[in-house]
Amino acid sequence: MRIVIDLLKTRYVPIFLAVGLLALTATLAGRTSAQAPIKEVLIGEVLPLTGNFATLGQQYLWSGQTVEDIVNNDYPDLSVPLGPGKGFPAFGGAPLKLVIRDDQSRGDLARTLVEQLITVNKVHWINGEGTSGNTSIIQPVAESYGIPLSCSPCASPTLTEKGFKWFWRTGPNDRTMVASVFDFLKDWPKNGGPGDLKTVAIFTCDNLFCQDNFKIAQDLAPKAGFKLVSELTTKTGATTLASEVQRLQAANPDILFFVQYPAETAVFQADAKRAGFMPKVIATSNGAYSDQTWLEAQKKTNGGAGWLGRDPTAIDLASKKPSWKKVNEIYRKYSRGQDMGELAMREITGMLWVADTINRAKSVEPAALAKAAAETNTSPDQMIIDYKGIRFDKSNQNVLASGVVTQIGWNGEKHTIWPWALAKEAGYKAIYPSPSWADRDSQPKPSR
Amino acid sequence: MTTPAAAPARRRGSALGWAAALTGLTVAIVYPIPIQMSGYTYFQTVGFLVFLYAMLGIGWNFIGGLAGQFDFGPNIFLATGAYTAALLAVHFNWSPWLGFVGAILVSVVICALITFPVTKLRGHYFAIATVAMWMIAQPIGATWELINGSRGLFIPMKPATGLGEALITLQFPGRSKGLVYYYIALGLFIATVVLFRTVERSKLGYYFRAIRDDQEGAEAIGIDSRVYKTAARCLTAAVFATGGVVYCFWAQAVFPDQVLEMNWAILPMICTVLGGLGRLWGPLLGAIILIPIAQVMSATLGAGPLAGRGLDVIVYGIIIMGVAAGRPNGLLSLPWARWFGRTPAPGSGRAAAGAVEDAPARR
Amino acid sequence: MTELLQAVVNGLQMGALYALVAVGLAIIWGLMEMVNFAHGEFMMLGMFGAWWLSSTLGLDPLIAMVPIALVMYGLGVVVYTQLMRRVQRGDVFAQIFATVGLLLFLQNTVVAGFTSDYRFVSDTVLARLSGVNIDLFGIRLGLPLLIAGLIGLALFILLYLLIDRTEIGLSLQATSEDREAAMLVGIHPRRMFAMAWGLGAALVAVAGVILANFFSVYPQVGLQFTVLAYAIVALGGFGSILGTLIAALLVGVVQSVTVVYLAPAFKDAFVFGSYLLIGLARPQGLFGRF
Repeated sequence: MRIVIDLLKTRYVPIFLAVGLLALTATLAGRTSAQAPIKEVLIGEVLPLTGNFATLGQQYLWSGQTVEDIVNNDYPDLSVPLGPGKGFPAFGGAPLKLVIRDDQSRGDLARTLVEQLITVNKVHWINGEGTSGNTSIIQPVAESYGIPLSCSPCASPTLTEKGFKWFWRTGPNDRTMVASVFDFLKDWPKNGGPGDLKTVAIFTCDNLFCQDNFKIAQDLAPKAGFKLVSELTTKTGATTLASEVQRLQAANPDILFFVQYPAETAVFQADAKRAGFMPKVIATSNGAYSDQTWLEAQKKTNGGAGWLGRDPTAIDLASKKPSWKKVNEIYRKYSRGQDMGELAMREITGMLWVADTINRAKSVEPAALAKAAAETNTSPDQMIIDYKGIRFDKSNQNVLASGVVTQIGWNGEKHTIWPWALAKEAGYKAIYPSPSWADRDSQPKPSR
Repeated sequence: MTTPAAAPARRRGSALGWAAALTGLTVAIVYPIPIQMSGYTYFQTVGFLVFLYAMLGIGWNFIGGLAGQFDFGPNIFLATGAYTAALLAVHFNWSPWLGFVGAILVSVVICALITFPVTKLRGHYFAIATVAMWMIAQPIGATWELINGSRGLFIPMKPATGLGEALITLQFPGRSKGLVYYYIALGLFIATVVLFRTVERSKLGYYFRAIRDDQEGAEAIGIDSRVYKTAARCLTAAVFATGGVVYCFWAQAVFPDQVLEMNWAILPMICTVLGGLGRLWGPLLGAIILIPIAQVMSATLGAGPLAGRGLDVIVYGIIIMGVAAGRPNGLLSLPWARWFGRTPAPGSGRAAAGAVEDAPARR
Repeated sequence: MTELLQAVVNGLQMGALYALVAVGLAIIWGLMEMVNFAHGEFMMLGMFGAWWLSSTLGLDPLIAMVPIALVMYGLGVVVYTQLMRRVQRGDVFAQIFATVGLLLFLQNTVVAGFTSDYRFVSDTVLARLSGVNIDLFGIRLGLPLLIAGLIGLALFILLYLLIDRTEIGLSLQATSEDREAAMLVGIHPRRMFAMAWGLGAALVAVAGVILANFFSVYPQVGLQFTVLAYAIVALGGFGSILGTLIAALLVGVVQSVTVVYLAPAFKDAFVFGSYLLIGLARPQGLFGRF
């Protein structure tokens, strides 16, 4: 007894207290999540809601909330999986519940939180993490616990190349999407495009997403018959790109293959404008081109007119679909009035597929879910995006996820220019060459 | 420091210290067992992170606490360690245990080579030199083809056939992984504690403190401050490299933006300062408090209807500021003994470090 | 040759912007020797202020600068009196700890209020001038950057005069050099520290307001500028306001010139590499007094 009292007098007290506290949390948290019959379907979402990737994370959060809304409420005319009727029919109308976790854009936190979702919250499915880098970190956890994991907007090809059994991706990967850009450029002359495009410069940032695109473009550009004249990688988070612009100007490429985030894209635009640099074609892949806030801002300056890039969907055609309009209406409830961007569309499509899979499995057992996922054969009319459908190959990549090439027109909206059949349907004449900075300033701005 | 009257109390304090350490150790060893049985293995992983960060905190304590130098970029050694072990595992199929040896060797050699020249710089100038190394390491990590640039290295998943092989490759299936990595982190943490204790009580530790308290004075009695500052940073580097190897096999992937991230530099430092700078148990206390808080915040304020508003991190920030304002010398500087003991013994008051509380700031 | 000259000119223009970001830090960190990890967040608040006033009230950043600077001065004083004054009792490492907390708090308060969207300020005097160049023997000088640089330079000179020529400035210096001695001659160190924090926050917020014309505004924008600002203050040398200015211009030129010839991914690495090289030759920075 005496020794206990003596111990309490020492400086080790805080350690005891802390250990006790931890044990208490453990037992409390354990008690609250007792296993129950399926009253609700739990989908765990680990997202970068704060920190460097918060701009992405928030769109995925809003997408998740949209899907939760669609599944749990009755939208009789909405032709997406689980749109009509409340909750999951397979579980007697049990609702979908998202269990959201913020990983602060940190890998170690993401990995730990996934384990929390699996072992403490006992979620039935994990969706996340939204960025390819952190998704690679959480993949082994899902794999070793045997819990299904999906990430639809993650585009790094490596994610499905490692032979994981429990990872699914409904969206296209970067290879598919960059390939569509070069397929378009290669065949453009035969379809009324210019015949004088010969050289390409690659200009990307330096993280996983950018470098995936860099490598793929490096590989595909010569195969499409273009000569690489400059390959520049910049540090992500650049405060100036004036010297890079100088180098690009010296290399004088016909086509600039450009992958940068919105902040750096704005820096590039200012520096290019100052230097009077404008190649004949600016082709992008994701980054700013997928960012709704950047696109909106371009309407005030004409800065985006003539940029072309890969998209997972023909947004001008998709937005005519009634289901797209309805889903966008729901999305705007959560996004404080922002329209769905292409990332949100990929994520919503992916999460609706998850809900559909769980419903078809009629069980939340991992084995049943995996079986239902493997049997997926979703038709295009059930989607708000123009994939040719959802069907997985052996690596759990959706083979029907296709790329589309779009261009920003003078009205600030994206128009489909490839594949040729869709382009015909869209009936839009591509801008060529990319307008000079003076033209951009003199033309009327879509919103002022 | 030790007056004759305080000596017996000190001796009793030391016996108590041993008893406390043993109790703590028992708790730490027993902790994951009920968790393993109940299946909530997540809490083992939290424990793993606590010991990992506590270990890194002690590592940073060598250069920051003992030698009193600003080091803002110890994460480059975490990255070096992680990459060395990952390269050895991917290309030569080396076990992580051999990886530890390689990682520590490489990191210490690199540390010695790059640190010695900049020990000429003092105070904030030295701090920015360490940031400089980090900023130079970032593009190397992002573009160096040998380590696959930004696309990172993956430790191939190879399910072990038996326990023996698993212990060599450190690959464990699902629910046993948390348990094993918890004990690995605990073991490495204890090893770091022993290392710190040994250094602290050795001549080396005395030199470090002499340089910290008065560099000119230390040099006057023949201590080469540049050599010993380098030595202190190499000890830090060795601990961070070890942490890097563990992290890399735990995460089974190494990316430059992951291992060179700011958190690996700042969080161990924050844990140390929260607990008590220069104190052996400071980093552990800091990690025990900060790591679970981040997790709890994410699961409570970061979830629910207000998710995505950053509330979890806002509250986390407020907690940090509150502690800093209330206890700038760390939680171990609280007069614990005065609160819990009925009659404070003259010696234990000092042991509880109440006296250090108003010590002047030093640089 | 034109290529090189153009790069140097580009670098000087960027350097002037960097100087603006670094000057607030030169006071809090360089002069008063208090570590502030939340410096970039003060700048971000200035940027958000500029964006908000411009998009709601249509106030041009060049005017909004004044009220924002006043508000941020107040915030700086509050941060010192409520937080940093207490933190100062402890070890200097506690300041890192406290300001990291402040960083997380400020950054995510903005996330909570405005989301993490990118925002672009385009309806302003400087933004409308974008692309307008002055041609000087074949070298292009961007007019908006030039105006911003001149504003920065003017602030710098004012600050230099304040610190080196006025009684307040001398009191600030005295406080940073020897707190006890300063108290003996009737200076209130706490008031001086509070003023330094107020000035530092206000100046970097003004920098943010000007930068909002050129860069996108989002809650995580701070770090990329402040990392450079730290290098600039240390390179210039502690306690030297003019040193900061020269170091900032140097950093701009180093970035700009190296990238014309070498790998752009290493842009910041070249800056920090030159810090190391210069540091080895001059351990006190270029013009450091201590």
